[in-house]
Amino acid sequence: MLWENIRLALKDMMASKLRTLLSLLGIVIGVASVIAILTLGESATKSITQSIVEGGLEMVTIFPNRSEKASTEFTEDFGEKLMANVKELKTVLPVNSSSATLRNGQNTTSASISGVLSTYADILDYKVASGAFFSLTDNLTSRQVVALGSTIAENLFPDGNAVGQYVSIQRNQAKSYLVVAVMESKDASFNLSFNNGIFIPYNTYAQRFIKPANVGSYVVRIADGADPLVVSDQISAYLDSLVGSDAYNLFSPASLAEMAEQITGTFSTFLSAIAAISLLVGGIGIMNIMLVSVAERTKEIGVRKAMGASPNTIRGQFITEAVVLTFTGGFIGIALGTLLSWLVTDLVDWHLHISYGSFLFAAGFSTLVGVFFGWYPAMKASKLDPIEALNYE
Amino acid sequence: MAKSVISLYDVRRYYMMGDFIVKALDGVSLAIEEGEFTAIMGPSGSGKSTLMNLIGCLDTPTDGIIQIDGEGTMGMSEAELAFVRNQKVGFIFQQFNLLGKINALENVMTPLLYAGGVGIRERRERAKFALERVGLADRMHHRPNELSGGQKQRVAIARALVNNPSILLADEPTGALDTTTGRQILELFEEINSEGRTVVLVTHDREIGMRCRRQIRLRDGKLEA
Repeated sequence: MLWENIRLALKDMMASKLRTLLSLLGIVIGVASVIAILTLGESATKSITQSIVEGGLEMVTIFPNRSEKASTEFTEDFGEKLMANVKELKTVLPVNSSSATLRNGQNTTSASISGVLSTYADILDYKVASGAFFSLTDNLTSRQVVALGSTIAENLFPDGNAVGQYVSIQRNQAKSYLVVAVMESKDASFNLSFNNGIFIPYNTYAQRFIKPANVGSYVVRIADGADPLVVSDQISAYLDSLVGSDAYNLFSPASLAEMAEQITGTFSTFLSAIAAISLLVGGIGIMNIMLVSVAERTKEIGVRKAMGASPNTIRGQFITEAVVLTFTGGFIGIALGTLLSWLVTDLVDWHLHISYGSFLFAAGFSTLVGVFFGWYPAMKASKLDPIEALNYE
Repeated sequence: MAKSVISLYDVRRYYMMGDFIVKALDGVSLAIEEGEFTAIMGPSGSGKSTLMNLIGCLDTPTDGIIQIDGEGTMGMSEAELAFVRNQKVGFIFQQFNLLGKINALENVMTPLLYAGGVGIRERRERAKFALERVGLADRMHHRPNELSGGQKQRVAIARALVNNPSILLADEPTGALDTTTGRQILELFEEINSEGRTVVLVTHDREIGMRCRRQIRLRDGKLEA
């Protein structure tokens, strides 16, 4: 019986193609937008987390806020203290930063200048393009040496060959620094800028620039194989107990990735809910067309009743028809939505991540819409008086 | 003595038309026995169609008792009445009332679909057999609009026969056909009747009525003596 009804419904749909198409439009648009939103949301999340993961999940950056507690705790000894209290840390690097103006002959540029330890480049997987990052000795002897970020090097030395030359760093008074390294380009992440930065030994920074009472920030590297989310939570917990949650900001790629996922997830859900409204509108369109169909086929209903179709059978026929309509709409919508997602992801260079769950959801939902909005017209059809229906012209 | 397939006891069917009561049938009692070929005759408005609708279980009486094949229809639900229509009665209409979107074979298969429990293969076989019986084996896959009036009525007769009902109910079956075709259809009814099936034929045409073995005349909702 079900197959007969489906066959009949398909026949009817094919008999009036334009009308079918128009009545399906609402469902098609609704489903297509839900699918596109969910698929694009998922693809965006995957792309964002991918770029975060590439930045290095094992890094955590701590920025102290100005507060009384912070000023007593966030000193140069903090690293050791943190290592002692949180397991699974590889190292903690203090970093002091400010901005300065740089000059080489006629070329000037402003840069963020960071005083870092000699292991900084290695720990952050920040590669040298030419020369060599300054050494432990350079730091201990507070030499005036500098490693240039790629953009800075280009600005100051348009012709290249920066290594071995001198730049003047202006801060109260100009001082000459020997360029020991030009770094490769590296994407900025989590308040650490690379290409627009220059790096000098930590002790040189302390001597040459005003020695800050506190360390500007700490770059923490989590031990290999440890769960970055768990460890960064442990760091947070420790810091909360030490200085309180107001005294610092903690940036961890892992937690950011999680946050990004949550945000895009919330967004997708929200937008899908809006798109689902068009499914509702589509459903009303289906109800409308089904009512027209029942009215047009009053005579047919009468004939079927005369041949022994029970009210249930008639109701089943029309509900099946509504469901076949909405399901077809859902199917077209899924195809269109996926196509749209593919076009968009291709355009913005994301990786297309098809969410099969959303297909299932869309198919299920459009079926439900068919049952829900087909019910009333089907009831109407099933309750027709057979004689009146037979005599209907 | 042959048993009654249709029995009516003091059947009344009243309608409300605004403030008036229309007594379409006003106390009709009759019995039609198995294998009879009966014409229900009378002028328009005499209650022929009402009587036929009641016998065919498309309608229920205001009062009185109707038994189809020994079974009282009083108090039956819509679904139960549908079952009786499906199993006991085959309808034939003046305007054929075939379903336009499906072909002759599928039209004839439809009552078997509502019978329930008949597989698609058996439905097709039985429908084919019924179409062969009415001489339309070569028109099975044509849609109604590709058939002549006489052919359409043959399809309708095949459809009425396919479920092997006890009663064939025909409402002016030749009314939309030319004389020659009408005569052929009538001959088909006679053939079907001669095989023992009860046929009830509603007509206002005296000539057709007289060809039936028994005539029941109605006037103003009552049987004429």
